[in-house]
Amino acid sequence: MTGVGYAFEEAWASVRRAGRSAAVSIGTIAIAFVTLGGFLLVSVNVQRVLDRWLESAEMSVYLHDDLSEELRTGLELYLRQQVAVAAVEYVSKERALERFRADFPELLDVTTAVAQNPFPAVFEVRLRTEGMDASAVDDLTTGLAGRGGVADVRYDRRWLTRLTGIVTSARIAAAVIAGVLMLGAAFTVAAVVRLSLHARRAEIDIMQLVGAPFSYIRGPFIVEGLLLGGAGAAVALLLIGVLYSAVGRWLGPDLTGLAGAGQLHFLGLREGVIMILGGLAVGAAAGTVASRSAR
Amino acid sequence: MIETQGLGKIYGRGLYALRDLNLTIDKGEFVFLTGPSGAGKSTLLRLLLLQERPTEGDVIVAGRNLSRLTRNEVQAYRRTVGFVFQDFKLIATKTVFENVSFALRVLGMPVEQQRRRTYQVLKWVGLQHRLNSRPDELSGGEQQRVAIARALVNEPHLVLADEPTGNLDPDLSLEIMNLFRDINASGTTVVVATHDRELIKWVGRRVVQLEHGQLAGLPEAPR
Repeated sequence: MTGVGYAFEEAWASVRRAGRSAAVSIGTIAIAFVTLGGFLLVSVNVQRVLDRWLESAEMSVYLHDDLSEELRTGLELYLRQQVAVAAVEYVSKERALERFRADFPELLDVTTAVAQNPFPAVFEVRLRTEGMDASAVDDLTTGLAGRGGVADVRYDRRWLTRLTGIVTSARIAAAVIAGVLMLGAAFTVAAVVRLSLHARRAEIDIMQLVGAPFSYIRGPFIVEGLLLGGAGAAVALLLIGVLYSAVGRWLGPDLTGLAGAGQLHFLGLREGVIMILGGLAVGAAAGTVASRSAR
Repeated sequence: MIETQGLGKIYGRGLYALRDLNLTIDKGEFVFLTGPSGAGKSTLLRLLLLQERPTEGDVIVAGRNLSRLTRNEVQAYRRTVGFVFQDFKLIATKTVFENVSFALRVLGMPVEQQRRRTYQVLKWVGLQHRLNSRPDELSGGEQQRVAIARALVNEPHLVLADEPTGNLDPDLSLEIMNLFRDINASGTTVVVATHDRELIKWVGRRVVQLEHGQLAGLPEAPR
């Protein structure tokens, strides 16, 4: 029998012997990974929504009512020449009013109550999303503000960028929390492995005395940690799946539709594999540390 | 086979367990280490098994200076040495057969070969009828025979025994000593630590007397 075969056979027997303590250790790993995976799932979906919003982000350049045709054409030309600008559409006062009436028919009374058209003419500017940094958009905003005929410039991407920053910070905080939980889980795995090491002390002594290779002496404990870690991560993935499906049903299509995300997305294959490999790595590392006293 | 040069082992605050020990044991020899408790018999065996490292001097076995072996080389060296302890050191949860085959299993030997050699050696020590018994179902003499079988199953060049008859009555002690004599007859070097003078007289081999960690003389018993 090879060292690997021996290690797996002994590790499996040890996990079965450990029973409740092995279950506790799998549970603690699962908690850590549910936290990590949960945050990952939320952040993947939030990021998807943000990306969608970012892609459709527009700059609105509101114009004074008394703007001359010549100035308007000059402004449009200026906008089309900017590298940050992907497309420009002019919406006249009349068209803005029509659009409002079409979009909000229940508010028709409001528009008829006022004597004059309250909507300003606007250039709706779609910005490039790829290869553009925030400074290019800032430069454009500053440039527009200084031009004649421009009443106001609204750019809804700024708060989206801020929101992205908040999401990134939350993601980092989640990673730190998950890291701390994982450290705790690793200590639990190490404790369980130490228990089985203690239970097999007599065997280890004999193995050392007969000159067994270190792979045979330490291997089973490293594999035991590996199995516990992998099982913990797999349980976590299962729990996240159950939670995901429950939350999806609870939220219904309304909230997801409101977010413009179409539907919630589960973790991809890549994230799943990373979680399992992470569990295996944490378990194996804990097993390696714990088995050092068997040398 | 075994040579110690100025060998010394100090425990704690300058307490010598062995001091300036110069000893030679030839290949194929049967040697008794004897002396009162604390004379250094067990310490010498522990140094020969590399359970401990010497504080001073060298231990050379089959041309290898044990002080210079790396961790992996220590394990390789131990594969050439069989050991027997007073308390048998059997694994309580394993059967007689498993206790012996375990020594081969953890060396990665193929299962068929493990089985064949384990059976052969258990037959040789007369325990072929107790293969499935657990250690607590055996007498002291039988347990020690299992330990001897485990020591021999890997066909070592050197067998070390530390008070192997310490827990046995005189009749069983003679039985165990006969096994050691047979092992030695096949060419294996045997070193037995004991303070049982009657046993030494009965076996009649070379005796190394230790006192306070030093040689007290090399009386030759009749061969």
